[in-house]
Amino acid sequence: MLKQFLWVILPYISLTIFIGGHIWRYQYDQFGWTSKSSEVLEKKQLRLGSLLFHWGILFVFIGHVMGILIPEPVYQTLGISEETYHLIALVGGIPAGLLAFIGLIILIRRRITVKRVRATSSRSDWVALFFLAVVILTGLSSTLLNIDSNGFDYRTTIGPWFRSVLTFRPNPAYMEQVPIWFQIHVIAAFGIFAVWPFTRLVHVFSFPLRYLRRSYVVYRKRMPKQAEQPHQIH
Amino acid sequence: MKRKRSPLLNRFKYIKPIERYANDHSEMTYGDRDWENVYRRRWQHDKVVRSTHGVNCTGSCSWNIFVKDGIVTWEGQQIDYPSTGPDMPDFEPRGCPRGASFSWYIYSPLRVKYPYVRGVLMDMWREALKEHKNPLDAWKSIVENPEKAKQYKQARGKGGFVRVSWDEALTLVATSLLYTVIKYGPDRNVGFSPIPAMSMVSHAAGSRFMQLIGGPMLSFYDWYADLPPASPQIWGDQTDVPESSDWYNSGYIITWGSNVPLTRTPDAHFLAEARYRGAKVVSVSPDYAESTKFADDWLSVKQGTDGALAMAMGHVILKEYYVDQQIPYFQQYAKTYTDFPFVVTLKKDGDKWVAGRFLQAKDLGRNVTNAEWKPIVYDDSTNSFVIPNGTIGSRWDGQGKWNLHMVDEETEQPIEPRLSFLGIENELITIHIPYFSDEGSKTIERVVPAKKVQTADGETYVTTVYDLVLANYGIDRGIGGNVARTYDDLVPFTPAWQEAITGVKRELVIKIAREFAQNAIDTNGRSMIIVGAGINHWFNSDTIYRAVLNLVLFVGAQGVNGGGWAHYVGQEKLRPAEGWQIIMTARDWTAPPKLQNGTSFFYFATDQWRYEETPVDELVSPLVKKARYSHYADYNVLAARLGWLPSYPTFNKNGIDLYKEAIANGATTPEQIGNYVAEQLKTKQLQFAIEDPDNEVNFPRNLIVWRANLISSSGKGHEYFLKHLLGTTHGLLNDDKDSLRPQEIKWRDKAPEGKLDLLVNLDFRMAGTALYSDVVLPAATWYEKHDLSSTDMHPFIHPFNPAISAPWEARSDWDIFKSLAKAVSDVAKQIGMKPVKEVVATPLMHDTAQELAQPFGKVLDWSKGECEPIPGKTMPNIHVVERDYTLIYEKMIALGPNVAKQPMGIKGIAWSAKDEYEKLKKTLGTIKGASVAAGCPDISAAKNVAEAILTLSSTTNGKVAVKAWEALEKKTDLSLADLAKEREEECFTFEQITAQPKTVITSPAFSGSEKGGRRYSPFTTNVERLIPWRTLTGRQSFYLDHELMHEFGEAMATFKPMLQHRPFSKKRPDAKGKEIILNYLTPHNKWSIHSMYFDALPMLTLFRGGPTVWINKDDAEEAGIRDNDWIECFNRNGVVVARAVVSHRLPRGMAFMHHAQDRHINVPGTKLTNNRGGTHNSPTRIHVKPTHMIGGYAQLSYGFNYYGPTGNQRDLYVIIRKLEEVDWLED
Repeated sequence: MLKQFLWVILPYISLTIFIGGHIWRYQYDQFGWTSKSSEVLEKKQLRLGSLLFHWGILFVFIGHVMGILIPEPVYQTLGISEETYHLIALVGGIPAGLLAFIGLIILIRRRITVKRVRATSSRSDWVALFFLAVVILTGLSSTLLNIDSNGFDYRTTIGPWFRSVLTFRPNPAYMEQVPIWFQIHVIAAFGIFAVWPFTRLVHVFSFPLRYLRRSYVVYRKRMPKQAEQPHQIH
Repeated sequence: MKRKRSPLLNRFKYIKPIERYANDHSEMTYGDRDWENVYRRRWQHDKVVRSTHGVNCTGSCSWNIFVKDGIVTWEGQQIDYPSTGPDMPDFEPRGCPRGASFSWYIYSPLRVKYPYVRGVLMDMWREALKEHKNPLDAWKSIVENPEKAKQYKQARGKGGFVRVSWDEALTLVATSLLYTVIKYGPDRNVGFSPIPAMSMVSHAAGSRFMQLIGGPMLSFYDWYADLPPASPQIWGDQTDVPESSDWYNSGYIITWGSNVPLTRTPDAHFLAEARYRGAKVVSVSPDYAESTKFADDWLSVKQGTDGALAMAMGHVILKEYYVDQQIPYFQQYAKTYTDFPFVVTLKKDGDKWVAGRFLQAKDLGRNVTNAEWKPIVYDDSTNSFVIPNGTIGSRWDGQGKWNLHMVDEETEQPIEPRLSFLGIENELITIHIPYFSDEGSKTIERVVPAKKVQTADGETYVTTVYDLVLANYGIDRGIGGNVARTYDDLVPFTPAWQEAITGVKRELVIKIAREFAQNAIDTNGRSMIIVGAGINHWFNSDTIYRAVLNLVLFVGAQGVNGGGWAHYVGQEKLRPAEGWQIIMTARDWTAPPKLQNGTSFFYFATDQWRYEETPVDELVSPLVKKARYSHYADYNVLAARLGWLPSYPTFNKNGIDLYKEAIANGATTPEQIGNYVAEQLKTKQLQFAIEDPDNEVNFPRNLIVWRANLISSSGKGHEYFLKHLLGTTHGLLNDDKDSLRPQEIKWRDKAPEGKLDLLVNLDFRMAGTALYSDVVLPAATWYEKHDLSSTDMHPFIHPFNPAISAPWEARSDWDIFKSLAKAVSDVAKQIGMKPVKEVVATPLMHDTAQELAQPFGKVLDWSKGECEPIPGKTMPNIHVVERDYTLIYEKMIALGPNVAKQPMGIKGIAWSAKDEYEKLKKTLGTIKGASVAAGCPDISAAKNVAEAILTLSSTTNGKVAVKAWEALEKKTDLSLADLAKEREEECFTFEQITAQPKTVITSPAFSGSEKGGRRYSPFTTNVERLIPWRTLTGRQSFYLDHELMHEFGEAMATFKPMLQHRPFSKKRPDAKGKEIILNYLTPHNKWSIHSMYFDALPMLTLFRGGPTVWINKDDAEEAGIRDNDWIECFNRNGVVVARAVVSHRLPRGMAFMHHAQDRHINVPGTKLTNNRGGTHNSPTRIHVKPTHMIGGYAQLSYGFNYYGPTGNQRDLYVIIRKLEEVDWLED
């Protein structure tokens, strides 16, 4: 029953909140949709912590896409052996995880010790920070405990399970043999998905990718409706 | 309304193909643009309201206040001032960026939103109320318990405020007020609120309340050192100056110590426009001031030595335009409008001849009324001494012939007054004239032609004021004496002599003096001097001013459009004067009001008098062996005793008890009570409170401050305030162990600390005064109330209107004092208080017959047995006033019946306001029900008060103006009513001035004319209509013959050096590294709204965001200070910490700390006091000048804000050094 809840019900609840929450927030809280930068209050620690964390987390994200979303057979087809994959995963993943972790520690410390930042922190900031800390800590420790290439293989367990959830054919059986650290990591991750829309983390979706391909000069068109209104001529 | 588009759907517009142009260089997007509305809405509004800023900047600019959704969004300049007429630039638009930033303040974190009381006091009060049934007993258990009192007084300025309800706060204040009334006397409750013109209803609110409860109101114009005592001395007028548009009529303008673009920003355009019209502008300023950029010539004078420069210019003008050649225009002007032809006695002092006093009709045995007050001129047509028309004696002799017609008062025959006795002299007499310099004082021997006359006291020699003035200026008339043969002689007061003192080249001085006079000749007097605080805030500002003002009198420029002086220091011109006076003095119910001169009050209340070090003897004339007293405070005791100055708290007894005592001793009529008080004083059974100011029965107990920032902005001697008045932590580095000891005052070795029981502040900003107050009441801002505004700079009157209702729990000043009146009445009822009678003393007032109290300017002290104490003659007037404290509220909200019953008036003339009173009953409605005020006009709302003021005043009601002119016609036998006749039908209403500002009606309350759209210039009615000045001679005065003026060597204009107050006289904090000693000046700030609101964010962003001190780059280098370094400036009075602004704009030797840089913004600590650096007033203290205390003598008689010692603070030096360590004291 618990398994059913943890690996079927919880993910769907969490993902529903994640998607629905973002739609709701975007619709009704345009002004609140922000990264809530505190750079104006403190710069030095932020520059270090934020850069470490963000670059780290970016590579961690890529690693997760590689490990979880892309099925193992794809790699086999491409001729990437088990060992090569692991080498890439560890050489890329551990430094990325460490960077993100160190960055996060600096940011947490900053949020607690810098008076002005602490005074302007809201509850949602603390919640986001807490989940990030748990997720990164458990993720990093699972990876480190799993350095041995003969150990647990998430590509045959967590990966297929996650894809089964995404394709609406949830199969909790995949998760039965997963070590406890990985389990906590996964549950915490779903936790963070659930609070995501209500925190500053929404800024992930405002990453200005558009800049990469827009023209130098941008004209904004009047709203079509306004344009239709008869223009008063003086 | 358009339905709001879903922002999410908008995002999917991505999918649409993007139109690109210009080789993909540009593109068209269809993204959501709703966010733009935020910016668009910022400037939208749904209401526009006319209001203004009540800020003593003198601008009095009318503004549009824009409101959206009940929030003030912004303000904009009004552009609908009535036109100045053809061929003139207009006033509109007026306003500066400071005013335009005010709406920020309404919603700022600095806003006081609720009533606050300091927690420690509130706890005690609530506890005490539980224990005592009677609130007075509860209050007594706190204030009379030294430990408890100390506990809450020491907490002042240290935060700890708790929010309380209005009722609770008001009951606390009311209880303390009534406790003081009963225990110590009503005159121990004191009110302070400055500059009524900047919001007259708000000022009148508290003042009316104070007068109803018998508490004195403090004056401010003198306390701020904005009052130029030279004005009452010369003209018998507080201050009367041209509106700024009259600059345009000038041909030659000198800006002298006045930084027009910076401090008169909305008016500065007239200076530029005057230049376009062809006027030459000269700047006299030590620093490269903003006004200097208007100038064709710049006289960079050493600060404080302006008197020397002016004397030298006077020397040139007298020599070239009076002696070498005679200019008919100047001669005629001098004879008619100045005291030049008046005759002065010469007396022998040992073997020296010295100038004496005016020869009076009495001396010649003339049998006329007020013969002691009718000075004499020599008539050339009859070759005899005659009494000319217009002297002060004729003002009060009931003949109704007080005018400047050049006729003999006795025979009514035309006369030709003679300027000089040269040519008809009986003898040439060498007189001794006092001379002052940094090297000490000495006498100069100069020769005057004298005539012999037979007087009641025997034969004596006399000369004319003109002859004396020429001698004083050192003009060579070919009759010998130590005079200047050329301008290059180093003899006072030549251009060469001044060069060493002022640093200004003699050639430049000669050139400017000639040009100034020549322009006056060419234009019949259109030469103007704009004077300002730069030369007015000195100890000897009156001698500086007299030397400068003599220039405009010499060239016949005063009383001429485009000419004369233009003193702009403080928004002192309250146009609708009579109506406002009635409301503010509560004379409609009770009289006389208690009006106290502020400087004397604070001098004693803050115990600055205990720290005097320079004996008066060092400052007096070399012709006087020793000063009358060595201590300044003794002169103030003399002034109180002789009825010269008011003195509240008055006696060392409660006035209510004194009344009972007098009755018990058989006195019944007010006259008998007066005699009883005189007798008691004479036998020393009764004392003036001022003779023992450190006795607890003489302390001021409650001080209510509103519309002012006393503690930090205007409180000169800041640290003395903190130590003695408030009894809290202070940074005073001075002690009184070996200071001067007074003769007339009881010295108590232990100085009191914490004299005040309650400091109450009404304000909308949590600034200096509020932070040190015990009770803070949230006041409405300028956009939240009804009120009136006027100024000297323009002739319009215009309103304040509420753009929004007062937010949070704020109330308008009128409403706060109304509720306080209610609270007092309620507590009085609760404790069953019966009506009481009180003995009240008032000084001998200017513009009443009492200015003839003490003839010949001779000081007779009854306490020394030199005369008898006679109330209203040789001592203050004694009155009996009845007060019913249960009826304060009823009287507060109704315009009392005395308006109709008693004559109404101003400046010594009176008329009946019966018609206006009846009219007000109809327009305002009356008080209903059974009340002492039943049937009286209802003034419970501020708007009604404003209407009453407009209806009762001669400048705003044509009928009243005509009545006032007719009253003056009766006194002068002149035809004057035509000045107002054309506007007789006009009666301003609040609605009218809300629709558009209105130009005031010409009235005898002021000395200029607006008739036919004429631009206002002072004394034009004196010159054109021959109305006498309100002085001894009835003319403009060069000569002041009071004994005390002689004592200080100031009978005539002269040069006096600034006081030499070194930073420390004895032990000083150890020197650490480099430092420099500079003259410490506190001029007005460019980046704050006048003296307030330095803490407004929009202002802080304009310049360095915190306190600064400007110093010269070479001075800075000498002290090892670089720009923006933190520095400490200190002397015995205290320490201020700020950042250095290092600039070549300032000359060496001086430091500018701009006025009122609030201490709650960015002030780090200093090791000197182990506290946060102080305010700009920390290194200052005041220096009172005894000649400002003279009274009972013609124009040298007391008037509220008219005469009295100034709170000057410029003659001071500070040590400046780099701050060792910047400690923000945050841990």
